Amino acid sequence: MLEKGKIDSRQAVFLNITMIIATALLVVPAMTTAHANQDAWLSSVLAALLVLPIAWITVKLSSLFPGKTIIEYLEEILGRWPAKVIGFLYLFWFVHICSLMIREYGDFIVTAFMPETPLIVFHIVVVTIGAYTIKQGLEVLARTNQIFLPLILFSLVMIMSLATPEKDLNRLLPVLEASCVDIFKGSLAPLAWFGEISTFTMIIPFLKKPTEAWRIAFISILLVGFIFTLLVIGIVTTFGPSVAAMTYPVLNETRVINIAKVIERMDPVIMSVWVMGGFVKITFFYYVIVLGSAQWLKLSEYRPLTMPVGIILLALSMAIADNLLESIHFLANVWVFYAISTFELGIPLVLLIIAVIRGRGGNNN
Amino acid sequence: MIKKIICLLLVLSLVLQGGCWSRKELSDLAIIMAAGIDRTPDGNIRLTVQIARPRAFGGGTVRPSAAQENNAWVLSQTGETVLDAERELEKKVSRKIYWGHMVILVLGQEAAREGIRSLINFFSRSPNARETLWVLVARGKAEDLLNSHSQLENTSAQSTGSVLRDAVGVPVMLKDLIMMLASKGTNPTLPFLELTASGAPQGPGMKENIPEAKNKQQKVTETHAEITLTGTGVFKDDRLVGQLDVPDTRGLLWLTNKIGPGEITIPSPAEPGKKISVNITRGKTKIEPFYDGQNARFEIKITMEGDLWEQQSTEDLTDPKIFAAIEKRMAQRIEQRVRSVLDKAQFDYGLDIFAFGESFHRKYKKEWAALKDRWDEVFANADINIAVEAHIRRTGLTTKRIF
Repeated sequence: MLEKGKIDSRQAVFLNITMIIATALLVVPAMTTAHANQDAWLSSVLAALLVLPIAWITVKLSSLFPGKTIIEYLEEILGRWPAKVIGFLYLFWFVHICSLMIREYGDFIVTAFMPETPLIVFHIVVVTIGAYTIKQGLEVLARTNQIFLPLILFSLVMIMSLATPEKDLNRLLPVLEASCVDIFKGSLAPLAWFGEISTFTMIIPFLKKPTEAWRIAFISILLVGFIFTLLVIGIVTTFGPSVAAMTYPVLNETRVINIAKVIERMDPVIMSVWVMGGFVKITFFYYVIVLGSAQWLKLSEYRPLTMPVGIILLALSMAIADNLLESIHFLANVWVFYAISTFELGIPLVLLIIAVIRGRGGNNN
Repeated sequence: MIKKIICLLLVLSLVLQGGCWSRKELSDLAIIMAAGIDRTPDGNIRLTVQIARPRAFGGGTVRPSAAQENNAWVLSQTGETVLDAERELEKKVSRKIYWGHMVILVLGQEAAREGIRSLINFFSRSPNARETLWVLVARGKAEDLLNSHSQLENTSAQSTGSVLRDAVGVPVMLKDLIMMLASKGTNPTLPFLELTASGAPQGPGMKENIPEAKNKQQKVTETHAEITLTGTGVFKDDRLVGQLDVPDTRGLLWLTNKIGPGEITIPSPAEPGKKISVNITRGKTKIEPFYDGQNARFEIKITMEGDLWEQQSTEDLTDPKIFAAIEKRMAQRIEQRVRSVLDKAQFDYGLDIFAFGESFHRKYKKEWAALKDRWDEVFANADINIAVEAHIRRTGLTTKRIF
């Protein structure tokens, strides 16, 4: 096996949560509110329910091929050459979302805090630290995240509670004004983000107790759905449906905090949440790409791929969009459908059906 | 060896870079306390800024010369947009303009009549200006309003910020204004302020010109003027269409459930001509909408608690009958206030400025879809019933007046 490290169940849950919530808290609430208005929290709950089948399929597939990642068990299901093609597509997909994330990461810092610094500076910094972490292996990433996630959650809870004086629960009324179709449309964006749980398949083989995979995925989804719903409720009760026009509503929420003119200007808190969460998320996907490529190429070691992949990610992250609006437009209107329909749900579902038809464990005889 | 070289390079880069990129030293910033926006006759933006003069903010409690010196520098510049005008200002201002500590945004009356959406966009978009700044409308030009001083605070911007928060009026933050503009269930209102004569000037730098007093009353121009809250500007969508005076503003506060500290004065039930004043300690308003498919109706229930703090007459307050009569008069007084502002909104302006539309929306979500685009019309034709319950809980440190 390429990865020698093992992570325990708690670390896996933590990784899953950071991997999803880190970027979901930025642009997604606005996308959801744009469709569902004050019912956005219903969309969020719906998304958490809809993502459960995705998580189940992911875990089920992994349990049929214990100790193997998707890149490896593809071969057992589809045979050598089709597996190479689908495997390549998966790697492409990981590269694509990872570079999108790096772009989101840089865009946020440049837009909100450091408008004069070139975007690429932040990209280089995060990719370099990511590369260093990957050289240290999965365990180090998991342990880093074990320190970061509590800080992230604490900061978010603090922001949400300090902004309470500005909130008005009436802004959530009337409930269910949006039609079911609108609520469903609103749930697609969070669903696509929650659906990143499908990437969990790449680390299931490295769990100390792989049998707990379903429990881990379920608890992660539950917590992610809960955190995200609270964020949406917090934002909507503060700003009403005008959230839809905001680029980063959680940042606006942070900026309205003013307790007795003493506790105010908490922007750096959200910046640190973003830098910690963004780093873990980017590094996680970066790791998945490096590991997956090594498995795809059947190398005996994944570390030599770190640098080349990093450079590809850097170049792509700069080329992926001309401006912020273009990248948000892509995320909201293209990425959502393409993510859910193919890599998060579509392909795994087909794989599972084929695997079951051809017999458990893919013993193709 | 290679590791050592890399380490050396890293340490060197620390020295060379040291976080100096896009640094903003306090001494390089021009901190804007207030901004005002007017429109020039040719449709351009005239941006006025009040920049804090750091020397005047220096430490120490005793500054004998402070009154002699202006604590703020006010200057104006014309541009096609706010950002354009800011760039023009940079030509004069030796430091980098910094919006992060801005307290108030003043919109000139004329500019507000032509629509405020285009005026506030810069402030909601720019990450430097904060959504917690107070927005208000100036009588006349914003430029004149900002060109004033405060006796107590360092700048008139800070003093205005405090007045808005504490005095009778509906303070509006930028984020609230954005929500009001985005909502179909209400029309925005903004506090209306102007310069009024306020005592003798406390130093040569404190003399003001009250704009409209120029030439007519030379004496007034020699006085000191403070920015004063004189009512509420009423908007139809984003255009200023009228103004409520202070009593009507109190009515507006009652109707939007934002009544704060204040007083109510009523004629004494026993002795005509003498007055009784009650300090409001608590006020609560409930609005319930009803809809029969044709007309909307609103039931407004106001409850108020207060302490009797001044009595010119000599009736015996320990007599429950008299007490009840006073409470009844208070209720009538509140109803009058509320009715007066409601009548203005319904019949003079035909505009819902109380967010009744939003409470209607909460209860009748299906009907709202059809009504939201002609809500002001529905509101103007709505029946509104007011029920007021007033209670006096305490009578201060005196019970029965015997002196």
